[in-house]
Amino acid sequence: MTTIRSMSQLKPWLDVMAMGAWGLLMFKLWFTGQLYLLIHPNYMWMAFASGFVLIALSILEGWRISRQRRYVDAEQHFTLIMPSLSSSLLLFVAIAGLLITPRPFASDTALHRGVMDSLSMTRNKPESFRSNSKPEERSLIEWKRTLDVYPEPDAYTGQKVKLQGFVVHTSNLPDNFFMISRFVITCCAADVYPVGLPVKLTQSRSAYPPDKWLEIEGKVITETIDGNRQLAIQPDKLTPIPEPKNPYDY
Amino acid sequence: MNQLSSAFTLFLSLLVEAIPFLLLGVLLSGMLLLFVSERKLIALMPKHPFLGALMGSLIGFLFPVCECGNVPVARRLLMQGAPASVAMGFLLAAPTINPVVIWATWTAFRDQPEIVVLRVVLSLSIATIIGSIFGMQKDIRPFLQPSLTRYMFSDLDSPEPAAQSPSNLLQTGTFFLGQPGKSLQSSVATLPAFANIPDPIESKPLVDRLQMLLENSVKELRELGGILIIGSAIATVIQVGIPREIIINLGQGQISSILAMMLLAAIVSICSTVDSFFALSFASTFTSGSLLAFLVFGPMIDLKSIGLILTIFKKRAVFYLFLISAQLTFLACLFINLNVR
Repeated sequence: MTTIRSMSQLKPWLDVMAMGAWGLLMFKLWFTGQLYLLIHPNYMWMAFASGFVLIALSILEGWRISRQRRYVDAEQHFTLIMPSLSSSLLLFVAIAGLLITPRPFASDTALHRGVMDSLSMTRNKPESFRSNSKPEERSLIEWKRTLDVYPEPDAYTGQKVKLQGFVVHTSNLPDNFFMISRFVITCCAADVYPVGLPVKLTQSRSAYPPDKWLEIEGKVITETIDGNRQLAIQPDKLTPIPEPKNPYDY
Repeated sequence: MNQLSSAFTLFLSLLVEAIPFLLLGVLLSGMLLLFVSERKLIALMPKHPFLGALMGSLIGFLFPVCECGNVPVARRLLMQGAPASVAMGFLLAAPTINPVVIWATWTAFRDQPEIVVLRVVLSLSIATIIGSIFGMQKDIRPFLQPSLTRYMFSDLDSPEPAAQSPSNLLQTGTFFLGQPGKSLQSSVATLPAFANIPDPIESKPLVDRLQMLLENSVKELRELGGILIIGSAIATVIQVGIPREIIINLGQGQISSILAMMLLAAIVSICSTVDSFFALSFASTFTSGSLLAFLVFGPMIDLKSIGLILTIFKKRAVFYLFLISAQLTFLACLFINLNVR
């Protein structure tokens, strides 16, 4: 009997804890920069602001409950899931988020999401397409957008390239090629999609294991891969770099 | 292991992106409903079936409720004497035709603005059509739950019902808690008679209203947040766990993709404020028409809202509602799939 009563007294505090934990989680993601892995920078302020609102709600609700002498359980109407289950779920996920560090997507996700099919297409319509930008200043996504507009690889032959990205080994490429790739984000990690360009090596790609971050300097060549003429990169210099804090392209 | 960690990243990102919108929806609608009189609004509503349905569909702009909040409001509109067409238009359109939802959809589909526009246009059209159909009925009462009609009859007979213990129509699963006193006590069967009580919201002191806002927001967040978590988990599992070939085959079929997304919408029951983020995770593999089907159909009919709608309408009416809205959504989205690229 006492247990039942103390259980039901505990219930409203679940909400307080859940909202508080979510507020803390938003702050943690913001201050550690992990928010960069999850959402587009345009929306980060919203996550941060909602952290404040959640903490405020948690404090106010705690204050409200502590003034209430008796908890009235009035959940008799239709709900899809039980209220206390719902609060526990929220609390549980927030705690998991506080404990686990989200990892950026890696090459297996790139393969799963089809880095191969995106060779000549991007989902984005070019938002800020600058055709006069210097070739060596183009990022991967800018190269892709440029190619979307004018796909003939010969037109770019000999242009300088300087890119950062991670290594993906795709099965359609010969052993002396790998794909230098990056993910593009428009809203949140649910919509990231990979873009990549093939890099031609003089040796086997096994020297560059998947997921390794590299800075590539080189020039553009045209290669026929899988029966398709396409743009590839002939590197002059391959420098290993640490994984950037913000791994996405925009 | 890698797959597990990308699944977690994906899951968390859906939640982090969606929660600010959920908070905004909950707080904004709570505030508006506690501070705006819906009574005066009803007086302005046209009686004509089509115009009424159109107006009803548009007043969602003033009451940004999602599909859990619209049912109690629609029910209260009916009880306060709003024409059936208005209430029906509101019921179906309000979860989509409101600023928070449109903004969230825009956030998710910046790259495909046509999705945002078509979502609004289709939802508005379907809600107006169904609202007009129901508005055409001379007598809506055969479609309504007896508990509701009993109340409506008594209202006709005695325009001044005793202002007895004010109970609350608006329960959890509503976006607001606009009624007086000991909130959250009425069961569905006991209908209150407060239609002619002077506007209760306006007579409440500010402190009480704020406290109701807090209490209600917490309830909403708890319930909708729980469903959001389950919905995000389902989206993640589908995205990470199911082989890409299967998803692509299903998602690229003009018809199969629409049916799959409508089924998903009905099961997942994710709140319309945040459903665009859910849909976004399918944007690269599913046809645009099927994404629209999800965004249009989900807010009207899903597992969660059917339970709520049954508190207003009889089973037969809910079945018609389901059938007509499903058909209209399917046909419109198929048309888009086949003709728009």
